Amino acid sequence: MTPIRFEAENSALWRELEEGLDRFERVPPDLSRLGLGAGRPQPAEVDAARLSALYRRCCEHLSLAQARAYPIGLIQRLQALTYRAHRLIYRRRDYGVARLKRLALVEVPQSVRAQRSYLLVAVLLFVVPALLVGWATYRDPQFALHVLDAPQLARFKSMFGSGAEALRPARTPEFDWSMFGFYIMHNIGLGFQCFAGGLFAGLGSAFYLAYNGAFNGAIAGYLTEDGEALNFYAFVLTHGAFELTAIVLSGAAGLRIGHALVAPGRRQRLEAVKHAAAEAMALIYAVFAFLVVAAAIEAFWSSAQWVPPQVKLAVGALAWTVMLAYLGWQGRPRSKKAA
Amino acid sequence: MAETPEGIALSLSPAGPLARTLAFMIDTLAKIALWFACQTLRSFMGGPGTAFVLVSFFAIEWIYPIAFELAMGGATPGKRALGLQVVMDSGLPVTPAASITRNLLRAADFLPMLYAFGVVSMLLRRDFKRLGDLAAGTIVVHATPVSLHAELPPAASVAPARALSLREQAAIVSWAGRAASLTAERLDELARLARPVTRGAAEREAGAQTAQAGGDAAALLGVAQWLIGRREKDAS
Repeated sequence: MTPIRFEAENSALWRELEEGLDRFERVPPDLSRLGLGAGRPQPAEVDAARLSALYRRCCEHLSLAQARAYPIGLIQRLQALTYRAHRLIYRRRDYGVARLKRLALVEVPQSVRAQRSYLLVAVLLFVVPALLVGWATYRDPQFALHVLDAPQLARFKSMFGSGAEALRPARTPEFDWSMFGFYIMHNIGLGFQCFAGGLFAGLGSAFYLAYNGAFNGAIAGYLTEDGEALNFYAFVLTHGAFELTAIVLSGAAGLRIGHALVAPGRRQRLEAVKHAAAEAMALIYAVFAFLVVAAAIEAFWSSAQWVPPQVKLAVGALAWTVMLAYLGWQGRPRSKKAA
Repeated sequence: MAETPEGIALSLSPAGPLARTLAFMIDTLAKIALWFACQTLRSFMGGPGTAFVLVSFFAIEWIYPIAFELAMGGATPGKRALGLQVVMDSGLPVTPAASITRNLLRAADFLPMLYAFGVVSMLLRRDFKRLGDLAAGTIVVHATPVSLHAELPPAASVAPARALSLREQAAIVSWAGRAASLTAERLDELARLARPVTRGAAEREAGAQTAQAGGDAAALLGVAQWLIGRREKDAS
Protein backbone atom coordinates (compact mmCIF):
# COMPACT_ATOMS: atom_id res chain seq x y z
CA MET A 1 0.00 0.00 0.00
CA THR A 2 1.38 3.37 -0.94
CA PRO A 3 1.19 6.41 1.35
CA ILE A 4 -1.22 8.18 -0.97
CA ARG A 5 -3.67 5.29 -1.02
CA PHE A 6 -3.27 4.88 2.75
CA GLU A 7 -4.15 8.50 3.31
CA ALA A 8 -7.04 8.44 0.85
CA GLU A 9 -8.57 5.36 2.45
CA ASN A 10 -8.28 6.50 6.05
CA SER A 11 -8.47 10.27 6.09
CA ALA A 12 -12.25 10.22 6.53
CA LEU A 13 -11.76 8.25 9.72
CA TRP A 14 -9.09 10.65 10.97
CA ARG A 15 -11.33 13.60 10.26
CA GLU A 16 -14.17 12.01 12.19
CA LEU A 17 -11.85 11.51 15.16
CA GLU A 18 -10.66 15.10 14.90
CA GLU A 19 -14.21 16.43 14.92
CA GLY A 20 -15.16 14.20 17.85
CA LEU A 21 -12.16 15.46 19.80
CA ASP A 22 -13.05 19.06 19.01
CA ARG A 23 -16.50 18.56 20.46
CA PHE A 24 -15.31 16.68 23.55
CA GLU A 25 -12.56 19.13 24.37
CA ARG A 26 -14.99 21.99 24.45
CA VAL A 27 -16.96 20.36 27.26
CA PRO A 28 -15.64 21.44 30.67
CA PRO A 29 -14.17 18.39 32.37
CA ASP A 30 -16.05 17.79 35.58
CA LEU A 31 -18.01 20.84 36.63
CA SER A 32 -21.23 18.85 36.61
CA ARG A 33 -19.83 16.65 39.36
CA LEU A 34 -19.32 19.67 41.55
CA GLY A 35 -22.86 20.76 40.82
CA LEU A 36 -21.67 23.84 38.95
CA GLY A 37 -22.12 22.88 35.32
CA ALA A 38 -25.73 21.74 35.47
CA GLY A 39 -26.85 24.21 32.83
CA ARG A 40 -24.11 23.39 30.37
CA PRO A 41 -24.77 21.17 27.37
CA GLN A 42 -23.48 17.67 27.93
CA PRO A 43 -21.78 15.81 25.09
CA ALA A 44 -24.76 13.59 24.50
CA GLU A 45 -24.38 13.81 20.73
CA VAL A 46 -20.80 12.51 20.87
CA ASP A 47 -20.56 8.77 21.13
CA ALA A 48 -17.70 7.96 23.51
CA ALA A 49 -17.52 4.31 22.42
CA ARG A 50 -17.21 5.36 18.79
CA LEU A 51 -14.50 7.83 19.75
CA SER A 52 -12.39 5.22 21.52
CA ALA A 53 -12.83 2.80 18.61
CA LEU A 54 -11.62 5.51 16.26
CA TYR A 55 -8.72 6.18 18.59
CA ARG A 56 -7.61 2.56 18.52
CA ARG A 57 -7.81 2.46 14.72
CA CYS A 58 -5.75 5.63 14.62
CA CYS A 59 -3.10 4.03 16.88
CA GLU A 60 -2.94 1.12 14.45
CA HIS A 61 -2.50 3.49 11.54
CA LEU A 62 0.29 5.30 13.35
CA SER A 63 2.22 2.07 13.97
CA LEU A 64 1.74 1.03 10.36
CA ALA A 65 2.87 4.40 9.08
CA GLN A 66 5.96 4.29 11.30
CA ALA A 67 6.84 0.72 10.34
CA ARG A 68 6.46 1.43 6.63
CA ALA A 69 8.44 4.69 6.80
CA TYR A 70 5.66 6.82 5.35
CA PRO A 71 6.30 10.55 4.84
CA ILE A 72 7.17 12.29 8.09
CA GLY A 73 4.43 14.86 7.62
CA LEU A 74 1.84 12.08 7.62
CA ILE A 75 3.36 10.42 10.69
CA GLN A 76 3.41 13.72 12.56
CA ARG A 77 -0.21 14.34 11.74
CA LEU A 78 -1.16 10.92 13.09
CA GLN A 79 1.01 11.46 16.16
CA ALA A 80 -0.66 14.76 16.94
CA LEU A 81 -4.04 13.15 16.56
CA THR A 82 -3.32 10.14 18.77
CA TYR A 83 -1.69 12.41 21.34
CA ARG A 84 -4.83 14.55 21.60
CA ALA A 85 -7.09 11.52 21.83
CA HIS A 86 -4.80 9.88 24.38
CA ARG A 87 -4.92 12.95 26.62
CA LEU A 88 -8.68 13.04 26.41
CA ILE A 89 -9.39 9.35 26.88
CA TYR A 90 -6.97 8.63 29.71
CA ARG A 91 -7.43 11.84 31.69
CA ARG A 92 -8.47 11.33 35.27
CA ARG A 93 -11.86 12.61 36.24
CA ASP A 94 -12.27 11.57 39.84
CA TYR A 95 -11.85 14.97 41.41
CA GLY A 96 -14.55 16.68 43.38
CA VAL A 97 -16.32 16.59 46.69
CA ALA A 98 -16.46 12.82 47.01
CA ARG A 99 -12.74 12.52 46.41
CA LEU A 100 -12.03 15.28 48.93
CA LYS A 101 -14.17 13.55 51.53
CA ARG A 102 -12.41 10.25 51.00
CA LEU A 103 -9.07 12.01 51.23
CA ALA A 104 -9.89 13.66 54.54
CA LEU A 105 -11.68 10.73 56.17
CA VAL A 106 -9.65 7.78 54.97
CA GLU A 107 -6.54 8.44 52.94
CA VAL A 108 -4.79 11.06 55.05
CA PRO A 109 -4.90 9.22 58.39
CA GLN A 110 -4.19 5.93 56.66
CA SER A 111 -1.12 7.19 54.91
CA VAL A 112 0.09 8.88 58.09
CA ARG A 113 -0.03 5.47 59.76
CA ALA A 114 1.59 3.86 56.75
CA GLN A 115 4.56 6.20 57.19
CA ARG A 116 4.82 5.60 60.92
CA SER A 117 8.53 4.81 60.95
CA TYR A 118 9.36 8.11 59.27
CA LEU A 119 6.91 9.82 61.57
CA LEU A 120 8.68 8.36 64.58
CA VAL A 121 12.06 9.61 63.35
CA ALA A 122 10.56 13.03 62.60
CA VAL A 123 9.00 13.21 66.06
CA LEU A 124 12.30 12.28 67.68
CA LEU A 125 14.19 14.78 65.56
CA PHE A 126 11.80 17.46 66.74
CA VAL A 127 11.19 16.47 70.35
CA VAL A 128 14.70 15.51 71.46
CA PRO A 129 16.32 18.86 70.58
CA ALA A 130 13.27 20.62 72.01
CA LEU A 131 13.58 18.80 75.34
CA LEU A 132 17.35 19.10 75.52
CA VAL A 133 17.44 22.79 74.70
CA GLY A 134 14.37 23.42 76.84
CA TRP A 135 15.96 21.73 79.83
CA ALA A 136 19.29 23.48 79.31
CA THR A 137 17.54 26.83 79.05
CA TYR A 138 15.49 26.12 82.12
CA ARG A 139 18.66 25.42 84.07
CA ASP A 140 20.50 28.41 82.63
CA PRO A 141 18.46 31.03 80.76
CA GLN A 142 21.63 32.25 79.08
CA PHE A 143 21.62 29.03 77.05
CA ALA A 144 18.71 30.33 74.96
CA LEU A 145 21.13 32.76 73.35
CA HIS A 146 22.76 29.85 71.53
CA VAL A 147 19.56 29.42 69.53
CA LEU A 148 17.91 32.84 69.46
CA ASP A 149 19.40 36.29 69.52
CA ALA A 150 18.68 38.71 72.31
CA PRO A 151 16.08 40.94 70.56
CA GLN A 152 14.01 37.88 69.60
CA LEU A 153 14.12 36.68 73.17
CA ALA A 154 13.10 40.07 74.47
CA ARG A 155 10.17 40.14 72.02
CA PHE A 156 8.89 36.75 73.20
CA LYS A 157 9.31 37.82 76.81
CA SER A 158 7.25 40.93 76.23
CA MET A 159 4.58 38.94 74.38
CA PHE A 160 3.90 36.67 77.31
CA GLY A 161 5.05 38.78 80.21
CA SER A 162 2.33 39.05 82.85
CA GLY A 163 2.89 42.77 83.18
CA ALA A 164 2.51 43.29 79.48
CA GLU A 165 -1.24 42.90 79.38
CA ALA A 166 -1.76 46.12 81.22
CA LEU A 167 0.57 48.05 78.97
CA ARG A 168 -0.42 46.65 75.61
CA PRO A 169 -3.40 48.22 73.88
CA ALA A 170 -6.33 45.86 73.47
CA ARG A 171 -6.06 43.79 70.31
CA THR A 172 -8.31 44.94 67.55
CA PRO A 173 -10.00 42.65 64.99
CA GLU A 174 -7.85 44.25 62.30
CA PHE A 175 -4.74 43.20 64.16
CA ASP A 176 -6.03 39.64 64.51
CA TRP A 177 -6.63 39.51 60.77
CA SER A 178 -3.20 40.76 59.89
CA MET A 179 -1.64 38.23 62.25
CA PHE A 180 -3.69 35.55 60.49
CA GLY A 181 -2.22 36.65 57.18
CA PHE A 182 1.26 36.63 58.63
CA TYR A 183 0.88 33.14 60.08
CA ILE A 184 -0.45 31.79 56.77
CA MET A 185 2.41 33.24 54.79
CA HIS A 186 5.17 32.40 57.23
CA ASN A 187 4.21 29.04 58.69
CA ILE A 188 2.96 27.33 55.55
CA GLY A 189 6.06 28.40 53.65
CA LEU A 190 8.09 26.91 56.50
CA GLY A 191 6.17 23.64 56.32
CA PHE A 192 6.71 23.36 52.58
CA GLN A 193 10.43 24.02 52.96
CA CYS A 194 10.60 21.27 55.53
CA PHE A 195 9.19 18.92 52.86
CA ALA A 196 11.35 20.16 50.00
CA GLY A 197 14.47 19.76 52.14
CA GLY A 198 13.89 16.02 51.88
CA LEU A 199 15.23 16.04 48.33
CA PHE A 200 18.72 16.55 49.76
CA ALA A 201 18.94 13.02 51.12
CA GLY A 202 16.58 14.01 53.93
CA LEU A 203 19.20 16.23 55.53
CA GLY A 204 17.22 19.40 54.83
CA SER A 205 14.14 18.02 56.55
CA ALA A 206 16.16 16.74 59.48
CA PHE A 207 17.80 20.13 59.88
CA TYR A 208 14.50 22.03 59.77
CA LEU A 209 12.91 19.65 62.25
CA ALA A 210 15.80 19.82 64.71
CA TYR A 211 16.12 23.57 64.34
CA ASN A 212 12.43 24.18 64.91
CA GLY A 213 12.52 21.83 67.87
CA ALA A 214 15.48 23.63 69.41
CA PHE A 215 13.89 27.02 68.74
CA ASN A 216 10.61 26.13 70.40
CA GLY A 217 12.40 24.36 73.22
CA ALA A 218 14.51 27.42 73.93
CA ILE A 219 11.47 29.70 74.11
CA ALA A 220 9.52 27.27 76.28
CA GLY A 221 12.43 26.73 78.66
CA TYR A 222 13.19 30.41 78.93
CA LEU A 223 9.63 31.49 79.62
CA THR A 224 9.01 28.64 82.04
CA GLU A 225 12.05 29.61 84.01
CA ASP A 226 10.84 33.20 83.88
CA GLY A 227 7.54 32.24 85.51
CA GLU A 228 5.31 32.86 82.50
CA ALA A 229 4.48 29.19 82.04
CA LEU A 230 0.71 29.54 82.33
CA ASN A 231 0.42 32.36 79.78
CA PHE A 232 2.78 30.68 77.38
CA TYR A 233 1.29 27.20 77.39
CA ALA A 234 -2.23 28.55 77.24
CA PHE A 235 -1.21 30.46 74.12
CA VAL A 236 0.66 27.64 72.44
CA LEU A 237 -1.25 24.49 73.31
CA THR A 238 -4.30 24.77 71.05
CA HIS A 239 -2.75 25.78 67.77
CA GLY A 240 0.30 23.70 68.57
CA ALA A 241 -1.86 20.63 68.12
CA PHE A 242 -2.15 21.56 64.46
CA GLU A 243 1.06 23.43 63.83
CA LEU A 244 3.54 21.08 65.48
CA THR A 245 1.76 18.09 63.95
CA ALA A 246 1.98 19.73 60.54
CA ILE A 247 5.68 20.47 60.87
CA VAL A 248 6.42 16.92 61.99
CA LEU A 249 4.27 15.50 59.17
CA SER A 250 5.96 17.57 56.50
CA GLY A 251 9.32 16.59 57.95
CA ALA A 252 8.25 12.93 57.81
CA ALA A 253 7.22 13.36 54.17
CA GLY A 254 10.59 14.92 53.43
CA LEU A 255 12.40 12.08 55.22
CA ARG A 256 10.41 9.56 53.19
CA ILE A 257 11.70 11.15 49.98
CA GLY A 258 15.23 11.43 51.31
CA HIS A 259 15.24 7.79 52.33
CA ALA A 260 14.02 6.74 48.88
CA LEU A 261 16.89 8.71 47.38
CA VAL A 262 19.56 7.19 49.62
CA ALA A 263 18.21 3.64 49.73
CA PRO A 264 15.99 3.08 46.70
CA GLY A 265 15.59 -0.64 47.38
CA ARG A 266 14.69 -2.67 44.32
CA ARG A 267 13.61 0.35 42.27
CA GLN A 268 15.75 2.68 40.26
CA ARG A 269 16.70 5.70 42.31
CA LEU A 270 14.50 8.07 40.34
CA GLU A 271 11.55 5.70 40.32
CA ALA A 272 11.91 5.30 44.07
CA VAL A 273 11.78 9.07 44.61
CA LYS A 274 8.70 9.40 42.41
CA HIS A 275 7.01 6.60 44.28
CA ALA A 276 7.89 8.16 47.63
CA ALA A 277 6.63 11.57 46.55
CA ALA A 278 3.32 10.07 45.46
CA GLU A 279 3.01 8.27 48.80
CA ALA A 280 3.91 11.37 50.77
CA MET A 281 1.33 13.50 48.94
CA ALA A 282 -1.53 12.78 51.34
CA LEU A 283 0.69 14.01 54.16
CA ILE A 284 1.27 17.27 52.35
CA TYR A 285 -2.46 17.84 51.91
CA ALA A 286 -2.79 17.34 55.65
CA VAL A 287 0.09 19.72 56.34
CA PHE A 288 -1.55 22.41 54.29
CA ALA A 289 -4.94 22.01 55.94
CA PHE A 290 -3.48 21.83 59.46
CA LEU A 291 -1.36 24.92 58.97
CA VAL A 292 -4.32 26.97 57.75
CA VAL A 293 -6.32 25.84 60.79
CA ALA A 294 -3.35 26.54 63.05
CA ALA A 295 -2.96 30.04 61.65
CA ALA A 296 -6.64 30.79 62.23
CA ILE A 297 -6.52 29.49 65.80
CA GLU A 298 -3.30 31.29 66.56
CA ALA A 299 -4.62 34.60 65.30
CA PHE A 300 -8.15 34.54 66.72
CA TRP A 301 -8.21 32.17 69.68
CA SER A 302 -4.75 31.76 71.18
CA SER A 303 -4.28 35.48 71.52
CA ALA A 304 -7.80 36.29 72.73
CA GLN A 305 -7.50 37.93 76.10
CA TRP A 306 -11.11 37.48 77.21
CA VAL A 307 -10.58 33.72 77.54
CA PRO A 308 -9.04 32.64 80.86
CA PRO A 309 -5.85 30.60 80.43
CA GLN A 310 -7.39 27.59 82.14
CA VAL A 311 -10.09 27.35 79.46
CA LYS A 312 -7.46 27.65 76.76
CA LEU A 313 -5.48 24.85 78.34
CA ALA A 314 -8.57 22.64 78.43
CA VAL A 315 -9.39 23.39 74.79
CA GLY A 316 -5.79 22.77 73.86
CA ALA A 317 -5.83 19.38 75.56
CA LEU A 318 -9.04 18.57 73.71
CA ALA A 319 -7.45 19.63 70.39
CA TRP A 320 -4.48 17.34 70.99
CA THR A 321 -6.76 14.45 71.88
CA VAL A 322 -8.84 14.95 68.76
CA MET A 323 -5.77 15.29 66.59
CA LEU A 324 -4.11 12.14 67.90
CA ALA A 325 -7.36 10.21 67.70
CA TYR A 326 -7.86 11.37 64.12
CA LEU A 327 -4.39 10.29 63.04
CA GLY A 328 -4.50 7.11 65.10
CA TRP A 329 -7.95 5.70 64.47
CA GLN A 330 -9.78 7.53 61.69
CA GLY A 331 -10.12 5.62 58.46
CA ARG A 332 -9.40 2.13 59.81
CA PRO A 333 -11.60 -0.51 58.25
CA ARG A 334 -14.40 -1.76 60.51
CA SER A 335 -13.25 -4.53 62.78
CA LYS A 336 -14.63 -7.99 62.17
CA LYS A 337 -16.63 -8.01 65.39
CA ALA A 338 -18.60 -4.96 64.37
CA ALA A 339 -19.26 -6.21 60.87
CA MET B 1 8.93 9.32 24.46
CA ALA B 2 5.87 8.08 26.24
CA GLU B 3 4.24 4.75 25.60
CA THR B 4 0.49 4.41 25.59
CA PRO B 5 -1.48 1.32 26.66
CA GLU B 6 -2.09 0.73 22.95
CA GLY B 7 1.63 0.13 22.51
CA ILE B 8 2.45 3.19 20.46
CA ALA B 9 5.15 5.64 21.40
CA LEU B 10 4.15 9.30 21.56
CA SER B 11 7.07 11.63 21.11
CA LEU B 12 7.15 14.60 23.47
CA SER B 13 9.42 17.55 22.74
CA PRO B 14 10.88 18.74 26.07
CA ALA B 15 11.38 22.48 26.52
CA GLY B 16 14.91 23.64 27.25
CA PRO B 17 16.25 26.00 29.91
CA LEU B 18 16.06 29.10 27.71
CA ALA B 19 12.35 28.81 26.90
CA ARG B 20 11.58 27.93 30.49
CA THR B 21 13.60 30.83 31.87
CA LEU B 22 11.74 33.23 29.59
CA ALA B 23 8.43 31.74 30.72
CA PHE B 24 9.57 32.09 34.32
CA MET B 25 10.42 35.75 33.78
CA ILE B 26 7.01 36.46 32.29
CA ASP B 27 5.40 34.70 35.24
CA THR B 28 7.50 36.73 37.65
CA LEU B 29 6.35 39.94 35.99
CA ALA B 30 2.75 38.74 36.21
CA LYS B 31 3.23 37.95 39.90
CA ILE B 32 4.68 41.39 40.56
CA ALA B 33 1.73 42.96 38.74
CA LEU B 34 -0.70 40.89 40.83
CA TRP B 35 1.11 41.93 43.95
CA PHE B 36 0.79 45.60 43.07
CA ALA B 37 -2.88 45.06 42.31
CA CYS B 38 -3.32 43.56 45.77
CA GLN B 39 -1.48 46.48 47.35
CA THR B 40 -3.80 48.88 45.55
CA LEU B 41 -6.89 46.99 46.70
CA ARG B 42 -5.56 47.08 50.23
CA SER B 43 -6.02 50.81 50.47
CA PHE B 44 -9.73 50.39 49.73
CA MET B 45 -10.23 47.60 52.22
CA GLY B 46 -9.27 49.31 55.43
CA GLY B 47 -8.85 46.99 58.42
CA PRO B 48 -8.52 43.47 57.00
CA GLY B 49 -6.43 44.85 54.15
CA THR B 50 -3.14 43.80 55.72
CA ALA B 51 -4.36 40.26 56.14
CA PHE B 52 -5.60 40.30 52.57
CA VAL B 53 -2.21 41.37 51.30
CA LEU B 54 -0.35 38.77 53.35
CA VAL B 55 -2.68 35.95 52.36
CA SER B 56 -2.55 36.95 48.72
CA PHE B 57 1.22 37.18 48.91
CA PHE B 58 1.24 33.59 50.05
CA ALA B 59 -1.22 32.64 47.31
CA ILE B 60 0.81 34.36 44.62
CA GLU B 61 3.95 32.62 45.79
CA TRP B 62 2.65 29.07 46.18
CA ILE B 63 -0.82 28.74 44.67
CA TYR B 64 -0.39 30.73 41.44
CA PRO B 65 1.48 28.06 39.46
CA ILE B 66 -0.63 25.19 40.81
CA ALA B 67 -3.92 26.93 40.06
CA PHE B 68 -2.92 27.82 36.52
CA GLU B 69 -1.45 24.43 35.75
CA LEU B 70 -4.61 22.68 36.84
CA ALA B 71 -7.17 25.09 35.43
CA MET B 72 -5.57 26.32 32.23
CA GLY B 73 -4.43 23.12 30.51
CA GLY B 74 -1.09 22.72 32.23
CA ALA B 75 0.38 26.16 31.59
CA THR B 76 0.97 29.29 33.62
CA PRO B 77 0.56 32.51 31.62
CA GLY B 78 4.31 32.62 31.00
CA LYS B 79 4.37 29.06 29.70
CA ARG B 80 1.31 29.73 27.57
CA ALA B 81 2.99 32.75 26.01
CA LEU B 82 5.92 30.56 24.95
CA GLY B 83 3.78 27.61 23.90
CA LEU B 84 4.92 25.40 26.78
CA GLN B 85 2.85 22.95 28.74
CA VAL B 86 3.31 20.76 31.81
CA VAL B 87 2.30 17.15 31.22
CA MET B 88 2.84 13.86 33.01
CA ASP B 89 5.65 11.60 31.77
CA SER B 90 2.94 9.61 30.03
CA GLY B 91 1.85 12.66 28.03
CA LEU B 92 -1.39 12.91 30.00
CA PRO B 93 -2.69 16.14 31.55
CA VAL B 94 -0.93 16.99 34.80
CA THR B 95 -2.74 15.70 37.92
CA PRO B 96 -3.34 17.83 41.03
CA ALA B 97 -0.94 15.74 43.14
CA ALA B 98 1.82 16.02 40.56
CA SER B 99 1.30 19.74 40.10
CA ILE B 100 1.45 20.31 43.86
CA THR B 101 4.57 18.16 44.18
CA ARG B 102 6.46 19.91 41.43
CA ASN B 103 5.55 23.36 42.65
CA LEU B 104 6.29 22.71 46.33
CA LEU B 105 9.64 21.19 45.44
CA ARG B 106 10.40 24.47 43.72
CA ALA B 107 11.81 25.36 47.15
CA ALA B 108 14.48 22.68 46.66
CA ASP B 109 15.21 23.77 43.08
CA PHE B 110 15.73 27.29 44.26
CA LEU B 111 18.59 26.37 46.58
CA PRO B 112 21.33 27.39 47.13
CA MET B 113 20.40 30.51 45.18
CA LEU B 114 18.62 31.59 41.97
CA TYR B 115 17.36 28.12 41.04
CA ALA B 116 20.93 26.79 40.83
CA PHE B 117 19.99 23.17 41.54
CA GLY B 118 17.07 23.37 39.14
CA VAL B 119 19.21 24.70 36.30
CA VAL B 120 21.99 22.17 36.90
CA SER B 121 19.46 19.36 36.94
CA MET B 122 17.93 20.66 33.68
CA LEU B 123 21.30 20.87 31.96
CA LEU B 124 22.35 17.39 33.03
CA ARG B 125 19.27 15.69 31.63
CA ARG B 126 18.14 15.16 28.08
CA ASP B 127 14.53 15.86 29.02
CA PHE B 128 15.34 19.10 30.89
CA LYS B 129 13.63 18.19 34.15
CA ARG B 130 14.24 20.13 37.31
CA LEU B 131 14.17 18.36 40.68
CA GLY B 132 10.47 19.03 41.18
CA ASP B 133 9.70 17.49 37.79
CA LEU B 134 11.76 14.42 38.65
CA ALA B 135 9.88 13.75 41.85
CA ALA B 136 6.45 14.53 40.43
CA GLY B 137 6.96 12.60 37.20
CA THR B 138 6.10 15.60 35.07
CA ILE B 139 7.79 17.15 32.07
CA VAL B 140 7.57 20.56 30.44
CA VAL B 141 7.02 20.21 26.69
CA HIS B 142 6.39 22.37 23.68
CA ALA B 143 2.64 22.08 23.25
CA THR B 144 2.75 22.03 19.46
CA PRO B 145 5.92 20.46 18.08
CA VAL B 146 7.65 22.30 15.25
CA SER B 147 7.26 20.53 11.95
CA LEU B 148 10.01 20.89 9.39
CA HIS B 149 8.24 18.64 6.95
CA ALA B 150 5.61 19.93 4.57
CA GLU B 151 3.69 18.33 1.76
CA LEU B 152 5.86 17.03 -1.03
CA PRO B 153 6.23 19.59 -3.85
CA PRO B 154 4.56 18.50 -7.09
CA ALA B 155 6.71 16.83 -9.71
CA ALA B 156 6.25 14.39 -12.52
CA SER B 157 6.56 10.94 -11.01
CA VAL B 158 9.59 8.96 -12.11
CA ALA B 159 10.48 5.37 -11.27
CA PRO B 160 13.88 4.97 -9.54
CA ALA B 161 16.72 3.41 -11.55
CA ARG B 162 17.07 0.51 -9.14
CA ALA B 163 15.15 -1.13 -6.31
CA LEU B 164 15.41 0.88 -3.07
CA SER B 165 15.56 -0.38 0.49
CA LEU B 166 13.04 0.92 3.02
CA ARG B 167 15.65 3.20 4.59
CA GLU B 168 16.59 4.67 1.25
CA GLN B 169 12.96 5.28 0.41
CA ALA B 170 12.39 7.00 3.75
CA ALA B 171 15.46 9.19 3.25
CA ILE B 172 14.34 10.33 -0.19
CA VAL B 173 10.77 11.06 0.93
CA SER B 174 11.95 13.03 3.98
CA TRP B 175 14.33 14.97 1.78
CA ALA B 176 11.46 15.89 -0.53
CA GLY B 177 9.32 16.89 2.46
CA ARG B 178 11.92 19.48 3.44
CA ALA B 179 12.11 20.96 -0.05
CA ALA B 180 10.22 24.08 1.01
CA SER B 181 12.55 24.90 3.92
CA LEU B 182 15.91 24.28 2.19
CA THR B 183 17.59 26.54 -0.35
CA ALA B 184 17.53 25.36 -3.95
CA GLU B 185 21.33 24.95 -3.94
CA ARG B 186 21.38 22.80 -0.83
CA LEU B 187 18.47 20.76 -2.15
CA ASP B 188 20.37 20.12 -5.35
CA GLU B 189 23.58 19.33 -3.48
CA LEU B 190 21.80 16.68 -1.44
CA ALA B 191 20.07 15.31 -4.52
CA ARG B 192 23.45 14.82 -6.21
CA LEU B 193 24.26 12.17 -3.56
CA ALA B 194 21.37 10.14 -4.94
CA ARG B 195 22.57 10.22 -8.56
CA PRO B 196 22.80 6.42 -8.84
CA VAL B 197 19.04 6.38 -8.23
CA THR B 198 18.05 9.19 -10.58
CA ARG B 199 20.68 8.99 -13.33
CA GLY B 200 19.30 5.95 -15.05
CA ALA B 201 15.79 7.30 -14.87
CA ALA B 202 16.79 10.75 -16.05
CA GLU B 203 18.64 9.35 -18.99
CA ARG B 204 15.68 7.20 -19.94
CA GLU B 205 13.38 10.19 -19.79
CA ALA B 206 15.47 12.84 -21.45
CA GLY B 207 17.80 10.70 -23.51
CA ALA B 208 20.72 12.91 -22.44
CA GLN B 209 22.56 13.87 -19.25
CA THR B 210 20.75 16.65 -17.38
CA ALA B 211 23.36 19.36 -17.13
CA GLN B 212 21.38 22.41 -16.02
CA ALA B 213 21.24 23.46 -12.37
CA GLY B 214 18.49 21.82 -10.32
CA GLY B 215 18.34 18.84 -12.62
CA ASP B 216 19.26 16.40 -9.88
CA ALA B 217 16.72 17.86 -7.49
CA ALA B 218 13.92 17.78 -10.05
CA ALA B 219 14.66 14.16 -10.91
CA LEU B 220 14.81 13.11 -7.26
CA LEU B 221 11.53 14.89 -6.50
CA GLY B 222 10.02 12.80 -9.25
CA VAL B 223 11.36 9.65 -7.59
CA ALA B 224 9.90 10.80 -4.26
CA GLN B 225 6.50 11.24 -5.88
CA TRP B 226 6.81 7.77 -7.33
CA LEU B 227 7.72 6.37 -3.90
CA ILE B 228 4.68 7.78 -2.13
CA GLY B 229 2.57 6.10 -4.77
CA ARG B 230 1.80 8.68 -7.43
CA ARG B 231 1.89 7.21 -10.90
CA GLU B 232 1.53 9.04 -14.18
CA LYS B 233 -1.66 7.96 -15.94
CA ASP B 234 0.08 6.83 -19.08
CA ALA B 235 3.01 5.16 -17.32
CA SER B 236 0.90 2.64 -15.51
